[in-house]
Amino acid sequence: MRQIAKSRKEPLFFRHERERYRLIVVGSLLVGLILAASIFAGTSTGYSPYEMNINEKLKAPSIDHLLGTDEIGRDVLTRAMYAARMSVQVAAIAVSIGLFGGGVIGILAAYHGGLVDLVLMRFMELLFSFPAILLAVVLMASLGTTLINAMAAIGIIFIPGFSRLARATTQGVLRQPYIEAARTIGMSDARLILREVLPNVVTPLVVEAMAAFGYAVLLESSLSFLGLGAQPPEPSWGNMLNTGRGFMVVAPWMSIVPGVAMFVGVLGFNLLGDGFRDFLDPKLY
Amino acid sequence: MFRVIGQRVAAFLPTLLATSFAIFIVVNVVPGSAARAALGITATPQAIARFENELGLDRPIFVQYLDWLSRVVTGDFGTSFQGRVPVGPDIARRLPVTLELAVLAFVIANLIAVPLGALAAFHHKRKIDTVITLLATLLGAVPNFWLSTLLILVFSLILRILPAGGFVSIATDPVRNLKLMIMPSLSLGIVSSALLLRIMRASMIEVLSTDYIRTALAKGATDSVVVWRHSIRNGLIPFLTVGAVEFGWLFGGVVIIEDIFLLPGIGSMVLVGIVNRDYPVLMASVLVITTVVLIANMLADIVATLLDPRQISIR
Repeated sequence: MRQIAKSRKEPLFFRHERERYRLIVVGSLLVGLILAASIFAGTSTGYSPYEMNINEKLKAPSIDHLLGTDEIGRDVLTRAMYAARMSVQVAAIAVSIGLFGGGVIGILAAYHGGLVDLVLMRFMELLFSFPAILLAVVLMASLGTTLINAMAAIGIIFIPGFSRLARATTQGVLRQPYIEAARTIGMSDARLILREVLPNVVTPLVVEAMAAFGYAVLLESSLSFLGLGAQPPEPSWGNMLNTGRGFMVVAPWMSIVPGVAMFVGVLGFNLLGDGFRDFLDPKLY
Repeated sequence: MFRVIGQRVAAFLPTLLATSFAIFIVVNVVPGSAARAALGITATPQAIARFENELGLDRPIFVQYLDWLSRVVTGDFGTSFQGRVPVGPDIARRLPVTLELAVLAFVIANLIAVPLGALAAFHHKRKIDTVITLLATLLGAVPNFWLSTLLILVFSLILRILPAGGFVSIATDPVRNLKLMIMPSLSLGIVSSALLLRIMRASMIEVLSTDYIRTALAKGATDSVVVWRHSIRNGLIPFLTVGAVEFGWLFGGVVIIEDIFLLPGIGSMVLVGIVNRDYPVLMASVLVITTVVLIANMLADIVATLLDPRQISIR
């Protein structure tokens, strides 16, 4: 009875709507936290992420150092915040590379069809057959371990996924009557793609990009953890965690803090991605 | 049916060939000369030239590829630059370690994903579904190398009940082997279960909402008959395909996990190859991992066809 009374107050439709937004809200809060950390990294704690202070080494969390210090006395909170900035930058650029590269390849493959489609998509399948982290590791070894290359390597990993999505969506769009109409009035290929196809393909791609963001953060951390991403003293959640492993008994905060930060970042971006995806395709919910 | 299986196997070989070429190209553009890495920074240009000439590194890249490929198909993976020992026996020694790790992790992932996914689907939109879905979301965001670190902290350093790393073969000491393998496979398996769980849930929800399930229920079939006789088989088809991809992901993930737990598998071999710029080691280890992944994908395709004969007439 109580449930009936409650549902009278709030119609079922609104309850569903509220549930649909819930993922987006929680995801936005977590992502907001990471973004705030990366924006205020330089100003909020009063410490430098690089400056060592041997007298303060391996200090437990206190008022002076809210999340403790590392093995050479650097403030862990400050470093974790700078690492957030780096992670967001790397992920943003990597996902953009994947989105742009995959989008162009997918649209061109669908638009031209035939041999172009076959060659491009076979190549994408080839890239897809490598496990992501393995491909990232080998590409980093091949390109050299700099941050720019990490962005490129992670971006390349995303290209096949985006290209498949772009191709499938474009194929759907090309069957629409308005494309036929545009062709009939003599629109050029470039204009047709930019004016008619692109606006109708871009939404699912952007949603996919949201979902890819969390994975990009994870890949960047994995590479840095292996010493193939951001190089010390540059702070990254991955290399902080790797260093922290050596001090697990005396300074567990050194491995817990970057781990929690990674978890919050990945979870936030995943929720946001899922939320937007459900919003567009509410079939399962 | 045999024709379909034949087609899948026939499609596998060109893919493997293309993959091997891609690996060869990517690895051979590794900057920093292998000769420098092997001979040290004090090596004279003459010594480097001799080294490259001895190993055939001064030939055109396509010639090098064909030469490498013709030897690989006979099981000869070349000689490592660093120790000047054959790579093949090393692969044979390391592959069982990685296979054991990946299989254990995959079993753990499935033991978590299949029952929980089916349970969530069966109680769709109820509290138990919400809790399980939340769990999957949380697990999906845990980096496996962080989970490893936490497991070591709790079970090795605080409770002191499990060794933090190392390897003993299952033939030498099965109990010790299991003790050493449990944390690495849990780290890989738990994280992988998140995606599998979501797929299992989604595919079971789809099956449970079909007409034939409603008919079965209307005819008075019990819940367990509906789940086990009518739903699981159809629900497993999309799950299997994703499962194979996930197995591949797992197999790639061993690079990090083997490094953390000091396991002498193929994954740690990749890192050794990268650090030492040891091309034969790097190419062999990457090729072996990719081949296993491709075989897993092919098998999943075949099993999916066997489970769902409708696919035969479609293709």
